[in-house]
Amino acid sequence: MIIEAQHIDKYFLEPEKHQVLKDISLSISEGELVSVYGESGSGKSTLLYILSTLDTGFEGNLSIKNQDIKKLTSSALTDFRNKYIGFVYQFHYLLPEFNVLQNVMLPAMKLAQKSKEEMKKDALSLLNEVGMKDFAKRPSYQLSGGQQQRVAIARALINDPSVIIADEPTGNLDQKNSGVIFDLLKEITERKNKTVVIATHNPKIYHNSHRTIEMIDGSIRL
Amino acid sequence: MSKQVFTKTNIFIALQYLSARKKQSFLATIGVLLGVTTFIVMINFMTGVNDFLDDAVFNGSPDIIVSATTRKQHEKKGFNIGVNAIEHSKRIDDLLKENTNVQSFAHQIISPAILISDAKQFPGSINGVFPDQERNMVDLERRLIEGEGFQSLSTENTILLGISLAKRLQVSVGDQIKMILPNGKNTTLTVSGIFSFGITTIDNVRTYVSATTLQHLLGQNSISNIHIKLKDRDDVRLKSYLIENIDNVTTEDWKDSNKTIVIGNKVRDILTWSVSFALLLVAGFGIYNILNITVIQKRKDIAVLKTIGYSSNDIVFIFLVQSIIIGVLGAILGSVLGYVISYLISTTPLDTSDFIIVDTYPINFKMSYYVLGFSFGVVTTIFAGYFPSKKASKVDPVTIIRGI
Repeated sequence: MIIEAQHIDKYFLEPEKHQVLKDISLSISEGELVSVYGESGSGKSTLLYILSTLDTGFEGNLSIKNQDIKKLTSSALTDFRNKYIGFVYQFHYLLPEFNVLQNVMLPAMKLAQKSKEEMKKDALSLLNEVGMKDFAKRPSYQLSGGQQQRVAIARALINDPSVIIADEPTGNLDQKNSGVIFDLLKEITERKNKTVVIATHNPKIYHNSHRTIEMIDGSIRL
Repeated sequence: MSKQVFTKTNIFIALQYLSARKKQSFLATIGVLLGVTTFIVMINFMTGVNDFLDDAVFNGSPDIIVSATTRKQHEKKGFNIGVNAIEHSKRIDDLLKENTNVQSFAHQIISPAILISDAKQFPGSINGVFPDQERNMVDLERRLIEGEGFQSLSTENTILLGISLAKRLQVSVGDQIKMILPNGKNTTLTVSGIFSFGITTIDNVRTYVSATTLQHLLGQNSISNIHIKLKDRDDVRLKSYLIENIDNVTTEDWKDSNKTIVIGNKVRDILTWSVSFALLLVAGFGIYNILNITVIQKRKDIAVLKTIGYSSNDIVFIFLVQSIIIGVLGAILGSVLGYVISYLISTTPLDTSDFIIVDTYPINFKMSYYVLGFSFGVVTTIFAGYFPSKKASKVDPVTIIRGI
């Protein structure tokens, strides 16, 4: 099991104490594409943030790649994320100060395990896989939403992480683009044997996942 | 994985942010530049004036003057046409030789006199000096306008004049003037040198003749003053020590004689520091403001950087580097501009007032002021940048991403 969550409870303290996640236990094995769906407020985003190690304020146990997340200091956690987890957001979130290639390279530059030339080669080959190689030198803000999301997928994969976390990756795209982006994500991650967890409303996505988890009121519907 | 934040990547990101806001970064740099420039120009100018006055006044006058108490206080003998003599000059000499803080001292006999040239008559203060002693007290060579210094006094009947007095008497080196002393004696003297201390109050009245000439004319073999130069000018304990141990003398130190200049120096110092500090503070607020706004605008970007593996320390560094670059660049340019402006001021002719005689504005070009101004500018910007940077590092990615 690459992700192992046991008895996770999560509370929001504001505006009043409220339990968002109730006794969530789940295991995800390597290479699985799991979608988490549910209405807004069902806790699916919160679960995703916990599984992605961004939110550590929960009760229960979480281990990723056999590493107990709660035992990591905040800077060790940052390094862990950098190495093992890739992110794709609803709003692509490329940094406008950097060009497409630089955006893809940013996580690798932080990891600093390869030479600049290797990073560049890796980034270009990923951009090629997502069909964005010709845009490498463009400022990221000049791209369309669908194009930015392709670049974001390349960025998520640059450090060859074990897990890809995608929060509504097609939520901001039209139907046609949604399909294209999801197919791309699925194709690449299956080929590279990555574990993917996607939070989504989109029926097309959860019907095409290996497994779907439905969230209702903070619990997993069995 | 390293905890190090000083990485090429972080610097690259910082530079990218800076160049994405060229205009704001430029303005912030200008702010630091103005602060540092003003600091350097002001401190160069103010200390230039201070040093000039110190040099002119304190080197032109001794640190401690010992003089005889006026005759009226201890004896009455009709009109006072002679000079009050110091009675125990030998004992004073012995005390001064023992004192470790005394650098040098010189005997003088000082008398008022009327000086008469072909053109005019003016009163002057005649300093009868012993050239060998006086040479250690006053660096007259440096202040000579024409003619020769103290060594020319070994020729009989010669006189050295302050430039203002010489101008008013309309004499130059080689001309003769007549001197009439209070006792009615007179003699003809040849002008052998003209000097300028740059201070009108000195250059207007001071003259030097040989002490033996003056003693001969006055008919007394005594001295009226002992001038003392100290090693540490601020340690004037010697003044009260002399009063306690020697009868019938009064003493005066440089602070008594030059109160206005001492206060003036202090006021200039306070002005320099407070104005420079205020300017750098304003520049600092400029940087603080720009970075603060950037941090608020860039919260999403900071959140993304954090999710893809950049730690809080990386974020602090990325933002702090931006302010350090602005600070260092502004401080370097400010130092250069400060030097250029100081140089221009130092070559600007100064319309001489009555008090100071100087051709151009006095400017001090000490390296230490540039170091100080530079560090001052950089430290201000680091402080100004630290708080927004800290704020940026506290951005919680979950809150930001959820908040969309």
